[in-house]
Amino acid sequence: MTIHESIVDGLVDVRTHKLRTFLQTLGVILGVASLVAVQGLADSGRRQATRFFSEFGGLTKLFVSNRPSKETLVTARQLASAGLTWDDVQAIKREVSWAKLVDPIVQQDLRVRYGSFLRRTEISGATPDYPAVYKFYPARGRFLTEDDLAAGSRVVVLGDTAARTYFGNEDPLGKTLYLDDVGFTVVGVMRRKEFYFGEGESHNALEWMNRMTFVPLTTVYSRFTGDDRKRVNYVNVVVDKVANNTKATEAIKATLFRRHGGVEDFEVYNRSERLRQQQEQSRMFDVIFLVTGIVSLIVGGIVIMNIMLASFQERIREVGVRKAIGAKGTDIAVQFLVEAILVTSIGGAAGLVLGVGFAQAITALLGQPAVITVQMAVIGVSASVLTGLFFGLYPAIKAARLNPVDALRYE
Amino acid sequence: MAPLLSPGLANGSMIHLDAVHKVYDAGETAVHALRGIDLDVKPGEYIALMVPSGSGKSTLMHILGCLDVPTQGEYFLDGTPVSGMSSRALARIRNRKVGFVFQSFNLLPRATILRNVELPMLYAGQGRRERREHAMAALDRVGLAERAKALPTQLSGGQKQRVAIARALVNSPPIVLADEPTGNLDSKTGQEILAIFDGLQHEGHTVLLVTHDSAIAAHAHRIVRMVDGLIENGDAGEAEAAP
Repeated sequence: MTIHESIVDGLVDVRTHKLRTFLQTLGVILGVASLVAVQGLADSGRRQATRFFSEFGGLTKLFVSNRPSKETLVTARQLASAGLTWDDVQAIKREVSWAKLVDPIVQQDLRVRYGSFLRRTEISGATPDYPAVYKFYPARGRFLTEDDLAAGSRVVVLGDTAARTYFGNEDPLGKTLYLDDVGFTVVGVMRRKEFYFGEGESHNALEWMNRMTFVPLTTVYSRFTGDDRKRVNYVNVVVDKVANNTKATEAIKATLFRRHGGVEDFEVYNRSERLRQQQEQSRMFDVIFLVTGIVSLIVGGIVIMNIMLASFQERIREVGVRKAIGAKGTDIAVQFLVEAILVTSIGGAAGLVLGVGFAQAITALLGQPAVITVQMAVIGVSASVLTGLFFGLYPAIKAARLNPVDALRYE
Repeated sequence: MAPLLSPGLANGSMIHLDAVHKVYDAGETAVHALRGIDLDVKPGEYIALMVPSGSGKSTLMHILGCLDVPTQGEYFLDGTPVSGMSSRALARIRNRKVGFVFQSFNLLPRATILRNVELPMLYAGQGRRERREHAMAALDRVGLAERAKALPTQLSGGQKQRVAIARALVNSPPIVLADEPTGNLDSKTGQEILAIFDGLQHEGHTVLLVTHDSAIAAHAHRIVRMVDGLIENGDAGEAEAAP
């Protein structure tokens, strides 16, 4: 007898015992729902983080920053090291072959003045690579150029919020902005950056980018700090691909360690590594759901096996008849297994729907993007089929081994 | 095949039992249900086995139907020795060579009549269209083609037994084995059922009717009596046979 025909017989059985089937499937429904929900939530979280990072540089961006010493006694070597410098940037460009872009930033608080507006504000000394690193481009005018950098030009580019703050409703392009009383020409205004972690969330997670005020990095040294060591606050390194993140991180560390006289006064922050760590941490949460799901499936499977065994007596004669007219042991086993899998699959389908519902509800509550993935369906289907297969096996073998004479004689 | 056969005994027989014993081991005491049965049935014979209840009737029936195997002796079915066969091989023999008709009909209660009749062909691995065609033909043969979609519970006893006969015939087995086929029916319906068996014999089936009722046994062309696990003088049985 083919599996298809066993399914036909199984469906007849399910139809005649609707309530029994429903009770049998409850555990499987909850178990599958739980597993599907875990998958959905994990996926939603991962996508959310990836999407957020991709808004300003993606997962290939490494962030190198100065690390202040935690010790109270500073060694001579630590004192001798200047921290991250312009020369370090050049060294990384030379030595780290996976580095596509290397972009240093120097930050300096300056008095910003335009007309009656006057406020102490953090100004960023940047290079022309900044837009490419952050995927942050001018909406009007232009960004800083290599010429600006070479000449130490007195030009300034504003973030959207910064432009509104300094100039109100006036058009800033071409106007002169005073930084510590030095006149700078506004040559560009950046496109507005926005990212909200949840729907209806009012906090723009990328508002800090809109507040930025950029001048050429070299101009900060020549006009304001006079820093002949050309120290920088941090360096962004864009790696050619995520797979090389770890290698690039190690290479950068090695270069800087050597150049800083064996002092590790810097740190390299690897986004993809961080993401992996976060996932590791949230895995505990996943494990709880997973265990709940598996326990539900086991309980569900036991219920199914129990009911199959309880209704076994009334089917002994049926098995006898089937064997008398030519059913082999395997035919009977397949029939019982198919029936078990049919029941768990019905439960699995219901559980899949319920699990997707759970995931949608929780992600909506957390303000994360809604998820429906192929993995959810794969997990739902395979979990339910495996449960049916595993717990249907014992009744199936028991039925297959029935002696036809005894089975036929059974009243 | 030839060396397995006892020459002159099994050759040309549809059923040949050679000193068949069946002993049930019931703990301390062994129950001797069959004590050396010799039986020879030719193809196309219509034979009644008259066995009083408790004289090994079920045991003989199960062995003849390949549901069970003898503890001793040989059984050749259509020339094939079945005594040492595996359960898988026996299932195949039951499917192809034997059509069962039981006293209590033994239809699957939740399956339609059509499905019940299709079942032996399902186990024989026949295709959907072929199954349907043969099942409908078999139901038509017993006058129930119109009720194909009905469930067994919607039928009378006589109708159920006719469905069971259709199911027994659908794989065209050489042997039809009926165990008290009229036992659960009133006498009028019983006669209708027996008329079908009479017809089967004319169509070339070998029919074995197991019964304790001599009126029913009288339908057969030969009557074999068994008492206490032994055939009661085989020749006398043959003498009684209706012409």
